[in-house]
Amino acid sequence: MGRPAAVVSMARPNASQAVSYTTEELARYEAIVQRYARHVYNVAYRMTGNEYDARDLSQEAFLRVYRALRRVEPDAPLESWLYRIVSNLYIDLLRKRPRGRVESIDAPVDTPRGELLREMPDPASSPEAIIEREQLDGTIQRVLGTLSPDLRMVVVLSDVEGYSYEEIAMFLHVPLGTVKSRLHRARQILQQRLGPYVEARRRGWDR
Amino acid sequence: MTLNHHRASQLLSAYLDRELGPADAVAVQEHLLDCPECRRAYEELQVTKGLLGQLPVAEPPAGFWAAVRSPGLARAPGAAWPRLIFGRRLAWASAAVIMALVLAAMPLVKGTIDRLHASEIGVDLYVRQHAQAMGSEPFTDRAYLGLTTGDADLVLAGDAPPAGAAGR
Repeated sequence: MGRPAAVVSMARPNASQAVSYTTEELARYEAIVQRYARHVYNVAYRMTGNEYDARDLSQEAFLRVYRALRRVEPDAPLESWLYRIVSNLYIDLLRKRPRGRVESIDAPVDTPRGELLREMPDPASSPEAIIEREQLDGTIQRVLGTLSPDLRMVVVLSDVEGYSYEEIAMFLHVPLGTVKSRLHRARQILQQRLGPYVEARRRGWDR
Repeated sequence: MTLNHHRASQLLSAYLDRELGPADAVAVQEHLLDCPECRRAYEELQVTKGLLGQLPVAEPPAGFWAAVRSPGLARAPGAAWPRLIFGRRLAWASAAVIMALVLAAMPLVKGTIDRLHASEIGVDLYVRQHAQAMGSEPFTDRAYLGLTTGDADLVLAGDAPPAGAAGR
């Protein structure tokens, strides 16, 4: 076999799956990282809602690509595989961790002095307050976190990453109709929970 | 083709994403012209989609790129979780074993304490009753048989049998 003399070992010395790759193979891996890592991290971040888990999930996904590099066809699209890994890792993560409470941002909060409503900027009176982009991003991310992982994955791939229904169906191994109904359901829930923000935008259009 | 309201409302997202076939797309479009409720729902979905689309691309933290580029050198991210889970399980198991030992030892300790109490009462009773008997009948040398039916019950030999045993 005409393998080049320069063989680079990047595996940990005591790793059970020690892998030695040629420089060509490493270049191919680097190209995969260049092409997918940012998207994978973004999806992982929107799914988990925090940097730490997003980093762990995406690093784990790329570790799997790295280990299987010789079995990966050159130029084969890897989105499907990567997003499925992220999705499965995230579900595993949820199983291992206690469930967080899911609540609507406009639901009343129970306090010892009775029910209180969260203070929300009034869309009609102070649109500036709502257009605070950072605050809005945080709120959207928080509300995304209240969706079930199935709905969240579909809406992230569609509305954040911009994939088509067909691509999403292929990535997640679900029928097209399931993508359609999950996405519609996810948007309805988000719209409901982001009520004041959505309303402010919609009224902005009317003006 | 005309669509009923329910069906049209279910197709609004796919219509928004231009993911409907031409016939369905036209039918939804016609329904939207007639139905203010669906028009509003459509606008809300559009805004919601727009809000998500405007989320910035999340910037990976420092060290992310190096770790992804050299995965062999980095800590396997998944590896920490099982260890953590195992550690937690081990802690729970140890707590359970300690609890079980405490529960098992409790009757032993309690029994010993009870027996000590009982022996104190027993000796007191013996001495008191013996002194009384010697006081009232100094010439009778009645021996006490420290017959114990329980740790604390001393039965005096020669005493009248208990009321319950009279008939026998």
